[in-house]
Amino acid sequence: MSSQEILGKKPLQILEKIRENLEKLNEKMEIMIELQKHGRRDIQTIPQEAPLDVMTLLSMPDHLRKTAMTVCRLGRATADEVAQQTRRARAVESAYLNQLVIMGYLKKERRGRKAYFYVEKESQG
Amino acid sequence: MKTLGKIVAIHSYKGGTGKTLLSINLAVTLAKQRKKVCLLDLDFRAPSLATLLKVGKVEHWLNDYLNGVCEIDKVLIDLSETIADQGKFFVGLANPSVEAIRDMSSKDRKWEMRALGRLLSLRNSLLSAKGFDYIIFDTSPGLQYSSINAIVSADVVIVASTLDSSDVEGTRRMLRELYDLFEKKTEIVLNKILYEDSLRSGKEKLQALVKETYEVPLLGVIPCYCDISRAEGKTIFVHEKPNHPFTRIMSEIATRIDKM
Repeated sequence: MSSQEILGKKPLQILEKIRENLEKLNEKMEIMIELQKHGRRDIQTIPQEAPLDVMTLLSMPDHLRKTAMTVCRLGRATADEVAQQTRRARAVESAYLNQLVIMGYLKKERRGRKAYFYVEKESQG
Repeated sequence: MKTLGKIVAIHSYKGGTGKTLLSINLAVTLAKQRKKVCLLDLDFRAPSLATLLKVGKVEHWLNDYLNGVCEIDKVLIDLSETIADQGKFFVGLANPSVEAIRDMSSKDRKWEMRALGRLLSLRNSLLSAKGFDYIIFDTSPGLQYSSINAIVSADVVIVASTLDSSDVEGTRRMLRELYDLFEKKTEIVLNKILYEDSLRSGKEKLQALVKETYEVPLLGVIPCYCDISRAEGKTIFVHEKPNHPFTRIMSEIATRIDKM
């Protein structure tokens, strides 16, 4: 690789890294906001998985049920994909999805720049 | 490109409202209208489709599919030749043995969550991959886990109700406190209605009653036919009695569902 290529590529890599870190920071902020809202400032770790069955869905507040049902239907989805289905803003869905992760109903997995949310089924036998 | 098929759940608040009668005859009507239809017995507490459809030996039950023991194509039985004319008619049956009923009644929340996942995945495995036009769920009455799973998985829910006051009140409450929460497209079929009330003027009154009480559309009105009671469940009306008024009503209901 020539020095010109390295010079041309490096700023791009740096910018991508900054963007990735900002996204991670944003997610952490969303989780902190949700914890603050619910007065659970002391919670540091994510609780154990809780089954997302229909009775749990029924007992959820309306705004979270809509998000949770969409993930159930899609199987595995990003906040963008959920937002397309619910016709709510991506940032709103991202906050709800992270809240469902905190509550133990959803799992989250990062693949490159994208974060996928899904219902963990197999480990809950 | 062919549009994706629909999942229709038939449910009711009380038992004996005609869910199974409606499910079988709707499925067969749609199959006779050249659709590819799959009827699934999700009434695990009182399975009845195996007897009513006179299916002999069954290798795999729907119970096995929900237990994760086999895939859905192992469960489906092709009855097209005997019933469907030019369409396709498949059934998936619930195991009627006492042991299986007991087993299904004692499942925990995690199992029910996985069962919901498997019902939801039928959209891919049957509607998308196998080109089914309709999946019809026959469910248990009331707020059973399996029935709520079916409602959540369905695109359209048809609620069968009689005019019995406890049924009307229970159905009304169920629509408000369960269906509304899941934002499901729901329509009502009134069954066992006095013949006089099912005629034009009576129907208008029933329409107003349904609108006011249930706040959902009225999909159809089925009068109380003695022929149906007399048949003792041994006749698939729309198949064996093409000229019966019940067959005409089912055909109208099927056409309306197809247009949804």
